[in-house]
Amino acid sequence: MLNYADQIKEKVRKDLLNLLEGVRGKKNLVVDEDLAGPLGLVSKYSTLQQYGVDKVFFLERKNIDASQKNVVFLSRGESADRALAIAEQIKRLQQESQIEHEFSVFIAPRRTLVANKIFEEAGVLGDISVEEFPLYFLPMDVDVLSLELEHSFADLFLHRDPTCIYTAARALMLVQQKHGLFPRIIGKGDGAHRLMEMLFRMRTEASVDDKSTKSTLGTLPSAVIESLIIIDRDVDFGTVLLTQLTYDGLLDEVLGIKDNQIEADTAIVGPPPGQQNATTQSALKRKLTIDSSDKLYEQLRDANFAVIGPLLNKVARRLQTDMQNRHSNMTTAELRQFVNNLPGLQAEQQSLKVHTGLAEDMMKFTRNTTFTRVLEIQQNLAAGVDPSTQHDAIEELIAKDTPLLTVLRLLCLESCFFGGLKAKDLEHFKTLILQAYGYQHILTLDALERMQLLFVRTGNIFSNATSQATTVSKTNYNYLRKTLRLLVDEVNESEPNDIAYVYSGYAPLSVRLVQCVLQKQYLLSFTKSSSSGSSSSKSQPPSTPGISSAAHGWQGFEDALKAAKGQTFNKIQKGADEAVTKARAVLGGGGTGGKKTVVVFFVGGITRAEIAALRLLERDNPIRDILICTTSIITGNKMIDAALEARTFGGYGE
Amino acid sequence: MSNPTVDWGRVGDRYYRKIKLYEDVFDPELELENYIVAGAPYAGAIALYRDESKLQTWRTTQSAKTGIDIYSCAGKLIRRINWDKGSIKGLGWSEEEKLLVVTEDGVVRCYVDLQNDFSQFSLGHEAEEYGVKSCKFWASGLVALLNNNRLIAVTQYTNPRPKLLAAVPTESEIHSWGIIPPQHTNSRSVEVLLAIGQSIYVVDTSETEDRMLQNGPFHHISISPNGRFVALYTEDGKVWVVSSDFQEKLSEYDSKAKTIPRDVQWCGNNSVALAWEDEIHMVGPSGASLKYFYDSWIHLLPDVDGVRLITGDACEFLQKVPDETEEVFKLGSTAPASVLLDAVDQLEKKSPKADDNIQLIRSNLDEAIDVCINAAGQEYSIPWQKQLLKAASFGKSVLDLYNSDEFVNICETLRVLNAVRDYRIGLPLTYDQYLRLTPARLIQRLINRHEHLLAIKVSNYLRLPTDKIYIHWACQKVRTSKEDEDTICKTVVKKLSDKNGVSFEVIARAAYDEGRATLATQLLNYEARAGKQVPLLLSMNEDNLALDKAIESGDTDLIFFVLLQMKSKLPLSSFFRMLSTRPLASSLVEASAASKDRSLLKDLYYQDDRAIASSNLLLSDALSSPSLSTAIDKLKLSHRTLAESKDPSAVIHQKHLVETQQLLKAQESLARDLDTSYIGLSLNETLNRLIRNGYSKRATKLQSDFHVPEKIYAWIRLRALVSARNFGELEELAKARKSVIGWEVYFEEILAAGNTRLAGSFVSKCSHLTAQQRSEMLVKCGLIVEAGRELVKVKDLPGLEALRDKTGAGADGVEVERMISGLKGGRR
Repeated sequence: MLNYADQIKEKVRKDLLNLLEGVRGKKNLVVDEDLAGPLGLVSKYSTLQQYGVDKVFFLERKNIDASQKNVVFLSRGESADRALAIAEQIKRLQQESQIEHEFSVFIAPRRTLVANKIFEEAGVLGDISVEEFPLYFLPMDVDVLSLELEHSFADLFLHRDPTCIYTAARALMLVQQKHGLFPRIIGKGDGAHRLMEMLFRMRTEASVDDKSTKSTLGTLPSAVIESLIIIDRDVDFGTVLLTQLTYDGLLDEVLGIKDNQIEADTAIVGPPPGQQNATTQSALKRKLTIDSSDKLYEQLRDANFAVIGPLLNKVARRLQTDMQNRHSNMTTAELRQFVNNLPGLQAEQQSLKVHTGLAEDMMKFTRNTTFTRVLEIQQNLAAGVDPSTQHDAIEELIAKDTPLLTVLRLLCLESCFFGGLKAKDLEHFKTLILQAYGYQHILTLDALERMQLLFVRTGNIFSNATSQATTVSKTNYNYLRKTLRLLVDEVNESEPNDIAYVYSGYAPLSVRLVQCVLQKQYLLSFTKSSSSGSSSSKSQPPSTPGISSAAHGWQGFEDALKAAKGQTFNKIQKGADEAVTKARAVLGGGGTGGKKTVVVFFVGGITRAEIAALRLLERDNPIRDILICTTSIITGNKMIDAALEARTFGGYGE
Repeated sequence: MSNPTVDWGRVGDRYYRKIKLYEDVFDPELELENYIVAGAPYAGAIALYRDESKLQTWRTTQSAKTGIDIYSCAGKLIRRINWDKGSIKGLGWSEEEKLLVVTEDGVVRCYVDLQNDFSQFSLGHEAEEYGVKSCKFWASGLVALLNNNRLIAVTQYTNPRPKLLAAVPTESEIHSWGIIPPQHTNSRSVEVLLAIGQSIYVVDTSETEDRMLQNGPFHHISISPNGRFVALYTEDGKVWVVSSDFQEKLSEYDSKAKTIPRDVQWCGNNSVALAWEDEIHMVGPSGASLKYFYDSWIHLLPDVDGVRLITGDACEFLQKVPDETEEVFKLGSTAPASVLLDAVDQLEKKSPKADDNIQLIRSNLDEAIDVCINAAGQEYSIPWQKQLLKAASFGKSVLDLYNSDEFVNICETLRVLNAVRDYRIGLPLTYDQYLRLTPARLIQRLINRHEHLLAIKVSNYLRLPTDKIYIHWACQKVRTSKEDEDTICKTVVKKLSDKNGVSFEVIARAAYDEGRATLATQLLNYEARAGKQVPLLLSMNEDNLALDKAIESGDTDLIFFVLLQMKSKLPLSSFFRMLSTRPLASSLVEASAASKDRSLLKDLYYQDDRAIASSNLLLSDALSSPSLSTAIDKLKLSHRTLAESKDPSAVIHQKHLVETQQLLKAQESLARDLDTSYIGLSLNETLNRLIRNGYSKRATKLQSDFHVPEKIYAWIRLRALVSARNFGELEELAKARKSVIGWEVYFEEILAAGNTRLAGSFVSKCSHLTAQQRSEMLVKCGLIVEAGRELVKVKDLPGLEALRDKTGAGADGVEVERMISGLKGGRR
């Protein structure tokens, strides 16, 4: 597999350090809070110090001091607010400070006209040097790249601001520049379509731009990348609203993972290493980095939470025997081997302790009656049970003052899965919610409606026939549940054989769509056999590459796609020089059988459970690697939170 | 073929050659001695300006206007720039062949492309006040000496920032001065050498240092091209060469001249040329010299590897003979390369000596070939180039293995060099100059001279991009063509349509700048990059088109940019009208206005008749209101906005808004009556708090006012009472016959609160459960006996036994045991 993640990490790091090096001497660094986390993924504070960074400030706190002559701002440039804040801070410092500062502004990912205009209007443009910091993809893991645009979901679906699609297109252009054109671009959804169009447009534009740099772009399709599959989030909101049941999915739901870090009580995970003796800090929070550098976590993360207990036990026992081996008689060679392994074992033990703590904490959470109730409602809705049977349960949750996010998630889930709520029901629930959580949520509910998450049912969604129109306005889960077998009754959680394991029985539609392209045989096997007997389909091996390669794109699943929201497309990118392409195909691109990469891009965010499902897909697909790209990693809560009105009446201090 | 050594001269142990590049350069009428002459580096153009300090014979035929004339080295007039901006104190060139003109009052004009196109900047206040005395230039910058002895440096011309250098004694006279370019100094900033009094001062940005020399005053200071040596001309007619850090004196030469030379310049890095009116002394490293005499006035134009000599009728190049050339051509040379050259000569004569020669140098043949190839590169004479390449080729044929890359390379380069050395072009580049200039910049020079055809040929030959040339050609066409606009557009498009990577935007801008707006729009349509079209369209006042193009590009930054411009330009109503057909632009305006410009948003919603959005906006305002009364006012407004709307959801909204106000008012009066704050709580929370604080009646009233469903209310009451540990009231509740939410939840909540006794009392009311379930519930309360009794009622013997096993010994155990035996007995 091409190691995109490391390449990108290295590049971002170098770009950043080069920029810092460009400012001579010591400097104070001001970052915006959105960017601070992502930067932590690529470089450590100590590295920044080596490059002359004295203190780090957050732009939002407005507390930059005049301790250094050089002040460096590092911020995202797409939003005008940031540029305004920077201009304001510069003016403040210029007025207050005794010394004459040198200001540098690094804007990620590109210098914008709007920021320029703002600096100009604020009268600071002449005093600052503005540089671009080309930060696009950030490596979340070896196979996951994220733009880490935290607000991309709200921007896309609430504010209808497609900036992040443009950023995504530029990011993908960089991938194409390095590895050649995507030979085929397949996708579903309007946002996806937009992204595809932009990629084509940028390609023609690049041929005008790049004349001097003589890049390889615009000439040849890639030899290492097979295709790009783009899935728009709004094709499948439903999946996100379900509670993720993989280990790291659940961690994200419960504790929240931000930039591969979680914050947990030291009481649960133990104090950080090296501070074991400090007894004073008992109730402190501790930040933990969790990524695939932790071998244990790598084994755990994608497993269904139900099997985490046994998995941890197994590891614990193995570690114990490994450690106990030292008491048995060993030759000196064995002893040396053991000593060499010791640091690894110790690290593993440490990590085992952490994850056992976390798993126990989660277990406590999942045993909570509310959690089980919510899960039960979710499973029923996913299974297509008449939603009105669930309403009493939801009402009870409201009456018991369950967090609003949880309640809204359930209502939105119903709305997504069943094409809306009946007008009477919706009105009823709205009243209940306003009474229970406050009338400020008129705004919340309205926002959810605008996001197409909560709406009144129109027409009869229960019909199984696909509509005649080429695109439908809402995804028809009821139809897709059968055609793509979203529901898998007996799912093996410990040794997963279907992606449905990530939601304990529900297969995420988004990933099923990817399977429509990559695992046609597998999908067809049970959609056909579902009439004869579904149990036989499970034993069937996944697709054999020989057959599936005959069909391209969406072929074979056109009907299913018609039932999902948004445009469907399948485009081929040809090289400018046809002859060269052919020649290369003859010379070696074809027969060598090297693994090719499929890039899967989720516009608007992907859940960790979906990532786990895609990894299973990769495991069952020996001829391809899958590189997962997204605008951000989301959860159902983050999705609803975008709409949530945080203010309340009151606080007037009477 | 004349002997190549004929123009060689010997200085010490080195040879120098003076190559006649062009003849009949200038109009014989032109009196070169009356002109200031400046030559661009790398054999670039020559600028002539009439020296104002010299008398001028008045002629009617000449135009009275003064001007700067730009000639090629071959004397072809490229451009005449009219000048009426006052006295010129500095005339120089940059590496990119930008002409720089500095006037007395400190204005610098930078002519970019040998044409009339210039940018202008000022050296600042001080220069304006005291006036510029003279200027020195280096590859990318200049230093100006003011009349008050201050120095101002400019390090680049694209974004010039004039900077004052450190101060020097103002009163003293400066005999001469020179600069060391930044790339050759330790400090990486420009250093200026000033001859003041007996000594030399070194000035940079921060300090001035006296070098403590005693032999001044120095009338000339010249710094070698590599910045390592300085040549000084002393009062007593001597030339000193010292290292540029003044630590070492390298050589001394006595010119024995009575008059001070007019100019002292370095010729390459190892000799100095002194020029009087009609005489030149070449001074080599060890003080050896060579003299040339002329019969007319000479100008020295220094270059990196030699000096150009300009006289009225010739342009010559004086340089050290390159080592390879010397090796091949030196009389009596026995170097292998020389023998190889001879061999090819013999070969042409069909003499067997050719082979003898080859055998003679067999062991060094590859080296000989290398030297021949390189010597060919250094040669101006085309026949000799051919002969040398022939020799190399012959040598190659003898060897089994030889890497011909360099051979091919030199052949290619020579073709290009010979083409541009042609007198019609007039760029007599040496091979070294060509390498330093780079092919890309050579092409730029050709473009600047409007030699488009040659530029394209050279580009194609060297496999360089040609788009710039086409664009420049098209711009020129657009600017100067007399044809009508359609024809121009057609010609341009026809020529460029199959060329990859041509930016029509640049051409369109040229057309627009020329006042041909329609042509500009026509051309702009061919631009592939939507983003690039936008700025021009904006400046052409084609706002709507610009916005559409921006939307097409998908670049939201660009869309915003256009929108900002339009908003400041258009009246609000037309701005909104323009938005109404463009949903993307509209939503962008909405998103950005939400945080910054709420009044704009208000107007937008009003204009668009979006009642609910308007109302929501007011609701949001209400939430941020500083006081309750303003919040309620805002809510009223919000409510009124919806009054006229017929939208069914607006009706629901209205209902909710009324309730919001009601609740706030109710909470206000509660706060007044009960001395506790309720404001800001939701309805359910209010009820909860009321019940907890023991105001059940008020709660019930509120419930009925707001039609809170019974079930919900029952839950609220239960949870509130439990959390207040108000078990008395809960006991009262237990007396009711029915519960809308069932009795089980009462049991659970109370049990969770730890009151097992009370919890137990609810068990019997759960009549829909089985006895076993009830028994289990009782066990949870610790009421083993009661649990047993439930089981006895249904005669569940195994259940009882299980209960006994769980309970173990003790009073309860005994009792259960008794029940078991009782049941057993009963059965028996």
